Amino acid sequence: MALLKQLARTRAPCWFLLRKQFFLSLCRRGVISSGMASDLSEITRFDFLVVGGGSGGLAGARRAAELGAATAVIESHKLGGTCVNVGCVPKKVMWNAAVHAEYLHDHGDYGFETGDVRFSWETLKAKRDAYVSHLNRIYRNNLDKAKIQTIQGYARFTNDREPTVEVNGRKYTAPHILIATGGQPSVLSDAEVPGASLGITSDGFFELETLPKRSLVVGAGYIAVEMAGILSTLGSKTSLIIRQTGVLRNFDAFISANCTKELQNSGIDLWKNSQVKSVSKTDKGLEVTVVTKDPEKKNDEEKISTIQGVDCLLWAIGRQPNTAGLNIGEMGVDTDERGHIIVDEFQNTSRSGIYAVGDVCGRALLTPVAIAAGRKLAHRLFEGKKDSKLDYACIPTVVFSHPPIGTVGLTEEEAIKTRGKENVKIYKTSFTPMYHAITSRKSQCIMKLVCVGKEEKVSVISSPDNRL
Amino acid sequence: MAALYRGRHRWKRINCLHIFSRKLTGENDYDLLVIGGGSGGLACSKEGEVLSLLFLNFSRGIFEEPANNMITFLLWLVYSITPGVFSRPTMAEAVQNHVKSLNWGHRVQLQDNKGHSESLLTNIVIATGGRPKYPTNIPGAAEHGITSDDIFWLKKSPGKTLVVGASYVALECAGFLKGIGLDTTVMVRSIALRGFDQQMAGLVTDYMEAHGTRFAWKSVPNRVDKLSSGALQVTWTDTQTGSEHKDTFDSVLWAVGRAPETKALGLDKLGVQLNKETGKIVIGPDESTSVPNIYAFGDIGEGRPELTPTAIKAGKLLARRLTGQSTELMNYDNVPTTVFTPLEYSCVGLSEEEAEKRHGKDGIEIYHAFYKPLEFTVAERDASQCYIKVVCEQGGTGKILGLHFTGPNAGEVAQGFAVGFQ
Repeated sequence: MALLKQLARTRAPCWFLLRKQFFLSLCRRGVISSGMASDLSEITRFDFLVVGGGSGGLAGARRAAELGAATAVIESHKLGGTCVNVGCVPKKVMWNAAVHAEYLHDHGDYGFETGDVRFSWETLKAKRDAYVSHLNRIYRNNLDKAKIQTIQGYARFTNDREPTVEVNGRKYTAPHILIATGGQPSVLSDAEVPGASLGITSDGFFELETLPKRSLVVGAGYIAVEMAGILSTLGSKTSLIIRQTGVLRNFDAFISANCTKELQNSGIDLWKNSQVKSVSKTDKGLEVTVVTKDPEKKNDEEKISTIQGVDCLLWAIGRQPNTAGLNIGEMGVDTDERGHIIVDEFQNTSRSGIYAVGDVCGRALLTPVAIAAGRKLAHRLFEGKKDSKLDYACIPTVVFSHPPIGTVGLTEEEAIKTRGKENVKIYKTSFTPMYHAITSRKSQCIMKLVCVGKEEKVSVISSPDNRL
Repeated sequence: MAALYRGRHRWKRINCLHIFSRKLTGENDYDLLVIGGGSGGLACSKEGEVLSLLFLNFSRGIFEEPANNMITFLLWLVYSITPGVFSRPTMAEAVQNHVKSLNWGHRVQLQDNKGHSESLLTNIVIATGGRPKYPTNIPGAAEHGITSDDIFWLKKSPGKTLVVGASYVALECAGFLKGIGLDTTVMVRSIALRGFDQQMAGLVTDYMEAHGTRFAWKSVPNRVDKLSSGALQVTWTDTQTGSEHKDTFDSVLWAVGRAPETKALGLDKLGVQLNKETGKIVIGPDESTSVPNIYAFGDIGEGRPELTPTAIKAGKLLARRLTGQSTELMNYDNVPTTVFTPLEYSCVGLSEEEAEKRHGKDGIEIYHAFYKPLEFTVAERDASQCYIKVVCEQGGTGKILGLHFTGPNAGEVAQGFAVGFQ
């Protein structure tokens, strides 16, 4: 009956799609229930509906499917999300390339005569893109193998009573819906900074076809540091514009200071206490006007400088959640002032039956965190593990600077704040890694252990050698 | 000075002894006497804050370590500018003389202080380490072959090399020789990396073989002859088939084990118990030997891991105990170690075999995965041997008994986890 109604409404080309959809729906357990007969004709029902096919969404979907849930994933772009396509993976490939460039400098010291070595961004990009595509295919295969339905398109919550999502005119619902739509780089509008749109973000970095000759990176977070490092090491003359005096301000001060120093030592032109005032296009490239004012020197006037011939202006000033087009307000899902979905420790949003994991929640924007949270949620929803949740304490993270930084746990400042200075003991060391024993190029390794209490429980390990 | 020690010397024959001493009297001017200026010895004496009497054996090992180098060099310098003050007895004689003098002093003191509970003894710590062994039953082995001591001093490339042995030293040397482009063969008597997890050992050697290192498995060398061309001809037997083989090499590197430097010390005369097989000093958990007030640690201790960080830590703790600052013993469990083969291998805790032995096959659970390092993807390198294995207790808390990792930077990776094992 329902099938006849469906077929009657459709045109020929869609018929096959609907037939496949219907077939697949029949294949799922408990898809069509008698209770839904009245509005079934338009809505496909699943046990678990995931909006966003990135790290968090896919991990949650796959684990749910393994536990027996009929699952579908909705993705508007490419499977793998930010991590695989414009984040972790291509970034790491570029960083590895930069490491090769650094090693090339050391070859002579190690006894290798390498002569003139040329670098081809085009070759690297082609191989990088091929690897990313390969991962897209693997992710798709994994979903297919797990019998998870992949729905291509943008999702938007409807006004239906039961939380329902619409994609390309079709509706989907489930008693459990996971929002894992991730985030995107923040940009300044042309109203805020004239000519801001002449710059690119990290997304655009991965579309660059050639190595820029002159780069300007704006920002002091890890993305800015990594982008500037990669560009500079691969041969682009690079400047980094930061609003205050150091990079990685949320990291332990020891790490932040060392990173800032190493950046400068590596040849990156660091502009402290500076901001971009305007950008304009000339026939020689972009002209960027920078305002510098040292807050310590209150009587000094602000200094205005112009950097010319910039062929790559990269804004790395933060990231914002992808919640704008979802229409989640309609569902009663609360967000903070920046649009992040507010969740409790179990990833529940303010609307029963709707959950969120990953970058869209704004906490610990890391792939392994999203994956772990997604899986824990799947176990809680589909395996009855009521207490299944992710512990967000002591999450390790790495900044792929040169040298790279690895850190886990509290910073010294946080430890002192929470436990009191008298309860905190610091162990520090600084040395030149043996690798540099015979190179003319030197780099420092620093390590810090923040220990609390009588047992000296380790709170943090910070080290510019990320493998540790 | 350093020039005197270049070239291929047989250190057993030339034992240079440099003594730096303030006063050698019957009285106990020194609390701590450390014999051996390597990783362990220096750490121990530095911690004891009494660089009173430091016997230095100018081995090449020391010259490789810039930090240790400085202290050693300074002491050598002091000696060299005060000629004639000291003679050059063999180490054995000197130790014996000093111990005798101490014993005399000790006896005198005890007689004088009847009932005094305070110890007035000088403690002697032996940290003389070990040396690579030469096979004794293979003609031409010593004359024509070299060891790891020599490989770091060669001015010329060793050329086509045969590495005899399958210890980590053998595989590491073979690894870097092949890595810089030399034709390299490894001759293995039975198994590789004895004592290590054998599955992991297999991955390490598989990788080396796949990347061009030749392996002569289950083979033992019979003789080494020098040809008129200067090349070395090695004859060996494949013990599986019984057939004999010959080949020529530019260098033969013996990596068949390390032996402690105890003979020269004349420890038997002092009554210090040695392990008959290995020749190493038998020690207790507090590094004590069978003779009161004589301690030993580091490579020379029987059953101890031959690792620098372990020796350093043990030395420091020993110095603290001997100077009355603490009672803490060295914990030798779960010491992480890394094999720097072309495919790096690092481990902490028990091997799968050891875990099975202790807990039974059903008492353990293994978590494992082959993986592909991102560094290998763009370069399309074969990652078939990149692998992670975690050996856990079955049931209970699933406590991790051992962790094994092969892949780039394995050592750095394992270090972080090793902290968790403590």
